[in-house]
Amino acid sequence: MDPTTAMYIAQGIHGLAYGMILFLVASGLTLIFGMMDILNLAHAAFFMLAAYFCYQFLSMTGSFWAALLLAPVATAFFGILMERFLLRKIHAFGLMSQLILTVGVSLVILAGVKIFWGTESLPVKIPPILSGLVLIAGLDYPIYRLFIIGLSLLVLAIMALLLYKTRIGKIVRAAVSDADMVNALGINIPLVFTFVFGVGIWLAGVAGVAIAPILTVYPGLEAQMGMDAFVVVITGGFGSLRGAFIVSIIFGLLSSYGVQFVSSLAPVLMFAFMAVVLAIRPMGLFGERE
Amino acid sequence: MMNKKVQWILWAGLIVILSLYPKAFGIYYTNLFVTFAVFAVYSVSFNLLLGYTALFSFGHAMFFGAGGYGTALALKHIHGLPLLGAVGIGLLAAILLALILCPLVVRVTGSAFSMLHLAFGQLMYILALKLRNITGGEDGIGGFPIPPLNIPGIVSINMKAPENFYYFAVVVLGASLWIMWFFTKTPFGQIQVGIRDNAMRIDYLGFKVTQTKAVVYVVAGAFAGVAGSIFALFSNLIAADSGFGIMVSFGAIINTLVGGLGSFFGPIWGAAIMQILEEVTTRYTDRVELVAGMILIIVIMFAPMGFAGFLRWAKLKWLAKTAGKMNVGKVS
Repeated sequence: MDPTTAMYIAQGIHGLAYGMILFLVASGLTLIFGMMDILNLAHAAFFMLAAYFCYQFLSMTGSFWAALLLAPVATAFFGILMERFLLRKIHAFGLMSQLILTVGVSLVILAGVKIFWGTESLPVKIPPILSGLVLIAGLDYPIYRLFIIGLSLLVLAIMALLLYKTRIGKIVRAAVSDADMVNALGINIPLVFTFVFGVGIWLAGVAGVAIAPILTVYPGLEAQMGMDAFVVVITGGFGSLRGAFIVSIIFGLLSSYGVQFVSSLAPVLMFAFMAVVLAIRPMGLFGERE
Repeated sequence: MMNKKVQWILWAGLIVILSLYPKAFGIYYTNLFVTFAVFAVYSVSFNLLLGYTALFSFGHAMFFGAGGYGTALALKHIHGLPLLGAVGIGLLAAILLALILCPLVVRVTGSAFSMLHLAFGQLMYILALKLRNITGGEDGIGGFPIPPLNIPGIVSINMKAPENFYYFAVVVLGASLWIMWFFTKTPFGQIQVGIRDNAMRIDYLGFKVTQTKAVVYVVAGAFAGVAGSIFALFSNLIAADSGFGIMVSFGAIINTLVGGLGSFFGPIWGAAIMQILEEVTTRYTDRVELVAGMILIIVIMFAPMGFAGFLRWAKLKWLAKTAGKMNVGKVS
């Protein structure tokens, strides 16, 4: 295969890997919004927290796999604490108070991270089995990127099964369309909310761990991912998992090919895409509500 | 409640305090006050949208930045431009941006409005970063000449002296505040409040909802532009982060909510409180983010109506206590 095609494919893999990570973060955001009407601006802070937990668990246990398992769960625990003791109390005050509260929480997390781990970027080493390149059909692929894509697809499959094949998934889907009605049917909606919030944060946590070896762990992770994930959710339509998935992949590819062709304007592409979509459909590609 | 005489005395007192302020507190606090005044005007202009018309913008910084960059670019490229001309260009830049955006954004409401603003705000931010040869990228535009304030034939005041600039800023920003206050009190301003409370009813009463929103939008953008313009002159620098940055947009939201939504003076309280907090926390600790985050959480958990709401509550309490002695009038 000639080198140009190889380069295109390599860029495509990078784009897909980034798109998948983006989707992991954005799916939690959109799920939480769709069900609870909460715009969680601290979502990216939890994503960053998970990366730090990954670093911590890795240096404690020495095993990346243990970190991959434990860090998202630990992050989800903090997320549940926030939902239970902060967000639930102010649910009656509407969208704006929630925004401010979540901004406050993200600032506290950012400060906490700086206190515990400092501001320098910390390296995360991946196990040897995931490093290096693999040769498929005459092309070298970085294993770790393929691993990220595979991991995300696995998480996606688990989520799909959970949402569409189980009782709790049915309840969650019903609550997305009308939480009050489900509550009136005798289902403990606050508990379901807490569960969904935890799962959303857990997804962000998985993404945080997955990205830690590529970008290293530093406080700027939050800003870098937060805006992208937010834009994905907006463009895909609030509460729409399908929209989040499609737009994540588009953005992943846009950013990787954008860097290659119009490197200085690559970040503009994403926002330009968003502006065009919103100008035509103010509720996003697959959004149903204003 | 307050009779005219007391009001006049209070106004006179305020003017005396403001004019003696630089002498009494020295240069450092004078500059601090200018920063506060800039963000107070900016937050009030944001509140014209949010508190009075229920348009929640995530990207109000783009007007602030447009004003700042407009003034900075004008002073850098046009030789011999007078000071007021530079501020005027900043104002025009913000108005122009608002005019371009308003046909698109006033059609939508609710979260779609917020999201569109987030998108455009970020677009402006990235453009400011990337169009390096015009905007100077991360470094922004700095060191442009600050012309003296010239009133031909009468006086020429050097604006590089912080004290002189203080008076200039206070007059311009004070006038902006007064115009905005006046604006909310006109019948037109009352229609705004009507739109916030029940847009359909206003529509049925025969007022034009979309057009009203557009006018409010442009006015809010214009005054944010004035604030940005003064800010650029004051720091002699405007950069992507200080002009278009997301924290500038959030700053307005935070000031408004901390101070109190729906009250004209709320955002001013908020700006003052946040400024003082920042000042105090930077003096005693370098964990500014932690303190700011904690304050936001505490305010939302325990005083969701903000400082103005707290004042109103305290006033009601006090009135209830002394109700027997005095005639309870309008409380608002």
